[in-house]
Amino acid sequence: MQVQTHVDINSEWGIVAARQAGRKLAREIGFGSVDQARITTAISELARNIYLYANQGQIKIEEVSAGGKQGMKIIASDEGPGIKDLRRVMEDGFTTSGGLGAGLPGVKRLMDDFSIESEVEQGTVITAVKWLR
Amino acid sequence: MNLDIQVSEHENKNVAQVSGEVDVYTATKLKETLTPLAEQEDKELVVDLSGVDYIDSTGLGIFIGALKASEKSGTSLTLTGLNSRVKRLFEITGLHEVIDIDSTKREEA
Amino acid sequence: MEDMKVSMYQLYKDMLTSYLEDKSEHALYHAQQFSKQMMEQDMSPEETVSMHLSVFQDIADDLPEEVTDSFDLLLEVMIGYGLAYREHQSLRDRQQELESELNVAAHMQRTLLPNKKIEIDALDFGVVSVPAGKMSGDYYHYDIDDRGNFAVAVADVIGKGVPAAMSMSMIKYAMDTLTDKQMQPSVVLESLNRVVERNIDDDMFITMMYGVYHPDDHYFYFSSAGHEPGFFYTAKDDTFVSLEAKGLVLGVSPKVRYEEQKLKLDPGDFVVFLSDGVTESRVNGEFIEREQIVDMIRERLHMDSQEIVNEIYEQLEKAQEFQLRDDFTLMILRRKV
Repeated sequence: MQVQTHVDINSEWGIVAARQAGRKLAREIGFGSVDQARITTAISELARNIYLYANQGQIKIEEVSAGGKQGMKIIASDEGPGIKDLRRVMEDGFTTSGGLGAGLPGVKRLMDDFSIESEVEQGTVITAVKWLR
Repeated sequence: MNLDIQVSEHENKNVAQVSGEVDVYTATKLKETLTPLAEQEDKELVVDLSGVDYIDSTGLGIFIGALKASEKSGTSLTLTGLNSRVKRLFEITGLHEVIDIDSTKREEA
Repeated sequence: MEDMKVSMYQLYKDMLTSYLEDKSEHALYHAQQFSKQMMEQDMSPEETVSMHLSVFQDIADDLPEEVTDSFDLLLEVMIGYGLAYREHQSLRDRQQELESELNVAAHMQRTLLPNKKIEIDALDFGVVSVPAGKMSGDYYHYDIDDRGNFAVAVADVIGKGVPAAMSMSMIKYAMDTLTDKQMQPSVVLESLNRVVERNIDDDMFITMMYGVYHPDDHYFYFSSAGHEPGFFYTAKDDTFVSLEAKGLVLGVSPKVRYEEQKLKLDPGDFVVFLSDGVTESRVNGEFIEREQIVDMIRERLHMDSQEIVNEIYEQLEKAQEFQLRDDFTLMILRRKV
């Protein structure tokens, strides 16, 4: 049975809790300190987006394996306003979060796989995976 | 390179007092102020250019836009206080024939 | 990739060891060169910090726990810098992409301008046209019509850059559709005005000066759509006068009549067409006066037209420290014999 953790995001405390849980799991899976910090930053950015733009949502983290590789998956979901122009938020220079100034393109860079689904008025689901090398 | 616009509302007209340089950098600001005024159906628009030393072609375009907007809304656009350099620009472009220019206020400079 | 990291690690370890031994400037110089290598290999700031810590742990025994822990914080901070650095790189790539796209567009735009040689014995013709940026809002034209008359034009779209350039191509295509090959200035401007008025933004317009020279009787006919006046030089009196004709800029009103003027060109007489990029050149922060342009031409009366316009452009470009504020077009048409 693989590890799976949910953290509800409705305050800055939630962001910190998600970071903590993410860093712990990353360490357990065997990521080095740089990748641990990257994964944590990615979680942080995703959680901040939820907190700032959707008020509340959820970060789910889990261990994954595929094709002999092991990794860690982050799923950030909310039922907030959604994103109208996905292409635009994925462009560099368009900063959605006041966080590290990285926004979603930053998360994509920090992780290996990245996907986003969003519907206006419905919410957004972002999935990102980092593989162990 | 700055532009200052003061708008005063009167019973049947709006007066926009413009000072500074009207160029490619400040044109947007002027447009954002003048267009809604020119679109007001019941009031004429007077633009006082006494404080303007220089207008470039982009700036001139804003007045054409305002003229077209005021024609659509059935009112009028009048320019006053043009200095000689600005006045020459309106004359060269033939715009003095289509825009009402009141030259009683300022001819020197 | 991994091998590369191993060798970078070893290099860094050697450098740090040597520095800790002798604290030499030499080792620091190596570090500076090394940083370039790191960037070439896309090594991020956070990887660098992490490498420093590992190397440090390798060569120094018993690092105090506070030192090791402090790197956690530094690592976290550096990730932000790393992202900013990558974003910067990607924006730089995109800028290069846009730039090359713009170069292609600028090249296409140049193909809209005439480039054939003029072969009329009586004429000496020269033109220079340089955009302030990559693309131009100025347009010029010359052509010989069916009856052997020589037509010239200079047009100026307000603003500059890409939006002006897009409108400029409209003028070119509109001129191509003029069916009447005997080009009469007032008629040409009237029909261009109709096209422009229908197709241009409310707060844009185009100015244009259009002229036709008849080599058989040496008359020059011209009309202006609100364009910067040119000059007319008469050799007999050695004087310049302003070349003006009444007419509204293109694109403001659908029905406009254009006044047409005519001049007799005697041998040595010439007309000058220009765009306001010439008259609005600022030298030492001051606009140059039209008189100064006249003076510059006067000093070069002995040269041929192309030399005159080239030299004036070069002089004004230099006086403005090679920063043109607006697109620049200058044209001279002289009757030789």
